[in-house]
Amino acid sequence: MVLSLDLITGLLSFVFTLFIFSYLIGDNPLFRIAVYIFVGVSSGYIASIAWWQVIWPRLINPLIFGSILEKGFMLVPLIGAILIFMKILPRMAGMARFAMAFMVGVGAAVTIYGAVAGTLIPQVLGTINIFDLLAASARNVSPIESIFNGSVILAGTIFTLIYFHFGARPKADGSMQRMRLIELFAWVGRIFIGITLGTVFAGVYAAALTAFIERIISIINFIGNFL
Amino acid sequence: MTDVIKCPTCGKNNLPDQEFCQYCRSRLTPLTGALKGADAPIRPGQIPTKKNTAELEPILPQWLRDARDSARKTTENEPTPQDKQKQESFSASTSSFDLLAGLQNQKESSDEENEVPDWLANLTGDSVKPKKDETESSEVRWVELGGEKDFARDEESQTGSAGETAHIEPQSNEKEDLSDWFRDASGFQPQLQPDQPAETENSFSPPTSDTPDWLRKMVADSEPQNDQAQSLDSGSVSAFPDSPDWLRNMPLESNLQSSPAKELDNTFDAASAPFVEEPDWLRALGGSQDNVNAGTPVDLSQTSLGTFEAGESSSADKLPEWMESFPSIESDKPLQGTVPKWLKEETSATSAEAEIPVWLSSGFPAAEPAATAPEKPIAEDSSLLGDIPNWLKASAPQSSIFSDEQSPAGSLDTPDWLKTSSDEQQPQSRSAFSEIESASPAFSADTQSSENMDALFTDMPDWLSKATDNSSLLSQLPAADVNLIEPGELPSWVQAMRPSDSGNPLSFSSDETLEKRGALAGFQGVLPAVPGYAATSKPKAYSIKLNASQEQQTHAAYLEQILAGETAPLPIASFSSLQRSRGLRWVITFIFFVILTPVLFLRTQFFAMPVGVPNEIGNAMRVVQAIPEGAPVLVAFDYEPARVGEMEAAAAPIFKQLRNPNLTFISTNETGGLLAEHFSSIPLDGLSGESGPQPLNLGYLPGGQMGIRAFGENPPAAAPFDISLSPAWASPQLQGITSLSQFAALIIISDNANSTRAWIEQTSDTRGAIPILVISSAQAAPMIQPYYDSRQVSGLVTGLYGGAVVEQNNGSTGEITRKYWDAYSIGMYLAMVFILGGGLLNLALGLRDRVTAREAK
Repeated sequence: MVLSLDLITGLLSFVFTLFIFSYLIGDNPLFRIAVYIFVGVSSGYIASIAWWQVIWPRLINPLIFGSILEKGFMLVPLIGAILIFMKILPRMAGMARFAMAFMVGVGAAVTIYGAVAGTLIPQVLGTINIFDLLAASARNVSPIESIFNGSVILAGTIFTLIYFHFGARPKADGSMQRMRLIELFAWVGRIFIGITLGTVFAGVYAAALTAFIERIISIINFIGNFL
Repeated sequence: MTDVIKCPTCGKNNLPDQEFCQYCRSRLTPLTGALKGADAPIRPGQIPTKKNTAELEPILPQWLRDARDSARKTTENEPTPQDKQKQESFSASTSSFDLLAGLQNQKESSDEENEVPDWLANLTGDSVKPKKDETESSEVRWVELGGEKDFARDEESQTGSAGETAHIEPQSNEKEDLSDWFRDASGFQPQLQPDQPAETENSFSPPTSDTPDWLRKMVADSEPQNDQAQSLDSGSVSAFPDSPDWLRNMPLESNLQSSPAKELDNTFDAASAPFVEEPDWLRALGGSQDNVNAGTPVDLSQTSLGTFEAGESSSADKLPEWMESFPSIESDKPLQGTVPKWLKEETSATSAEAEIPVWLSSGFPAAEPAATAPEKPIAEDSSLLGDIPNWLKASAPQSSIFSDEQSPAGSLDTPDWLKTSSDEQQPQSRSAFSEIESASPAFSADTQSSENMDALFTDMPDWLSKATDNSSLLSQLPAADVNLIEPGELPSWVQAMRPSDSGNPLSFSSDETLEKRGALAGFQGVLPAVPGYAATSKPKAYSIKLNASQEQQTHAAYLEQILAGETAPLPIASFSSLQRSRGLRWVITFIFFVILTPVLFLRTQFFAMPVGVPNEIGNAMRVVQAIPEGAPVLVAFDYEPARVGEMEAAAAPIFKQLRNPNLTFISTNETGGLLAEHFSSIPLDGLSGESGPQPLNLGYLPGGQMGIRAFGENPPAAAPFDISLSPAWASPQLQGITSLSQFAALIIISDNANSTRAWIEQTSDTRGAIPILVISSAQAAPMIQPYYDSRQVSGLVTGLYGGAVVEQNNGSTGEITRKYWDAYSIGMYLAMVFILGGGLLNLALGLRDRVTAREAK
């Protein structure tokens, strides 16, 4: 009897799915076995990907088979990688600081720049331009809908920001209370936050439900192969 | 004469062995005998013997020294054997009785009994006698002053010689201590009686050296005028124009006393003269004495009274008001009106206590039953000095008035307290110690009649009668207890005064502890000193309640509440237990399995596909449709393998709309390349490669955001190889493409908003105008939606719903989304039912708990 790859993968998929479902009765060895196997397989796969798709083609291969210029350029990431690798040894962990500092610095700069240029300013502009009726017309959106949507977004943005304004003055009895107007806006902002979190929850549930359905279909398909 | 003793009070004869007069209960023999010669303290029970107290003389008070000297001189200057014989019976008493000498004046003026209040009579030890006849009242006068004639005289001599009134001769050195008015007064009297040898022993010696000239002149002028009283009246006044009026009146008055009646009147005037400067109380006392004197026999003839009145009237105009009111005091006005206020108050009190001053009554129990012994011994009468006002105590030893207390004037000036206290000691000693003084041979047994005794105790104050009763009881004490008393170191004058001289110690207290030392040696029931003192009653309980106001208590309550709130542990909201959560989880899972598995297994299509197209999905469809055929499209796979079903179901309908796309796959996730391969295996029109080139999988793009940015700036440098490590940019799919902006569109398939945001942010500068189409998981859609609203993302397809919409609008049927849609819809409804049902159940439980809590309250 020749076992096909689809049968093997289908069987493993079915078994590990049951192992994961076993978590319904609590933490158990089956669930742990499945988790450990997934972690191990993922790590091995990631390591192989890192070697085969990053280290070998982009570092080792140029160093070995590249030109002098390429080799020269590859020395910098090589030295940085070696220094970071020194973190394995506690006595040599300090040598990784330079590479880590370079990475963190460059990463922070890229992140901050991307956040400001790609999120903060565009979001502010988007909140303002939502009242652009011409743009709305260009996008086949009615002005009323555009204004309503813009008003809701604007109110939600402001009230949500006000909700995170925790400045307050102490009262005579020692309690802290914000201004009444701030309290009112914060209450509205809390509604927006609630709606947002509800939406997120619904999205998570929808995603999880879809994954659950996919797993059940997978099991049904596996079982259907033997029927 | 030696067989009988004449009562100094009533003048009646008594047997020599009697101690008290059987008629008037007056003491016939002195209470205290002579002191012992040595300084040895007197032991209880010992008979006081004569002492040589010369060494102690300096420590005596001046007034007491003077009195003792006067008494001594009186006893020594006996002119006749008869007088000496008479004096022998009183020799002992005069030496120790000198202090009380002046006090006898009150007692002796029996004719003035009606003017003496009862309390005063009681204090003197005499019972309140019924009013006697005038003849009876005039029997004895001034006997305690030592005049032996006073005891020997008969009715005739008394009536015929009122001038026999004893006069104590003050010593010359004593006069120096006297005030001027008293020297003046005393200087007159001897001159008034020059021709009375029988009275030389009692008369004043004329002052010689110390007498001022004007006074000697005045005396000299008065002598020749003895027989010319009326004429001298005006002449004396004119002879001393500079002298005060009252002094100018004195010669006149002295002239009036050439006769016995005049002499008595002169004595009165001489005594009344100092009243000008005397205090009221002393004046009142003097008045009382004057009343006594004024009440002298009627044989103070009318002439003498007339002269007295004339002389009095002559000076009355110039006398002060108090002197003007003096005659009224002499009348039958009660003596109470002349006593000090502190005596007045007491006389107006209740019957028993009205007769005792406050300071005196406070020292003795007032109205206790006779059976209870008084707390203080009688000897404490001597402590009455401590109860009298300070001004009176201060005046007693210092004032020279008391130095001449044996003289008529001096006796008049003697304060009542001294009189009463000294007289009081006598009857007390008589009554209280009469039964136990048998050990003392100095006193004779009391032979008084029972009637007199009854009368005495009937009128005596309660405290005194109690003392008498208790004395009889205490007389039965064993002699051993008496002998236990140790001697105390006392000055001689105190020894002379203390009642222990009389014999046995007495104690009227239930406390049988004997005082062993000090002035109170031999007494029982003495208040103990500080050492060894033990409180007999429970100490008073004091409340420890804090005296705080209401506001302070309120603040304290607030503080307690604050402290209690800080120290009390706050209850932590308890979470539902794992057991209940696990059961609920099982139930939900069971429901889902039971419902969804048949639906999926049967591939039912109960629910219709969504028809409406949201804007983001519509724009996404338009973007896809706008991609030219065969244009390069970069697809980023950034989702986890767990989301494969959702992401492929959402992305597949979009890729079906592409027309021969030149797809390039890349991923920032390590598993992205594999997922891209799996996605490529889906039998879709755009992915089959049947109508175009095979998709190029660049695989994993390392570096996260930095890798994306690097890829955006220089894609060939950032991802030079495909997943098979072949040069990617030399492949036909990427032929001629060196930058990101050369792609026709960028499709981001992600279940993570962060990865989507990273692609959006880091490629904002390098992607140019190429559209970005995001196919996201439902869980990341809310965070990606703002990028669509800000137009950073051209189209957004979220989850299975988005894929179903796209699939429903692109005309394809029976594809991926359709297999999921019924189960997906049922799952969504179940979720809504569970959420609503759970909410209602929670509301019901909350209401139940609230009602329970309300009922519990």
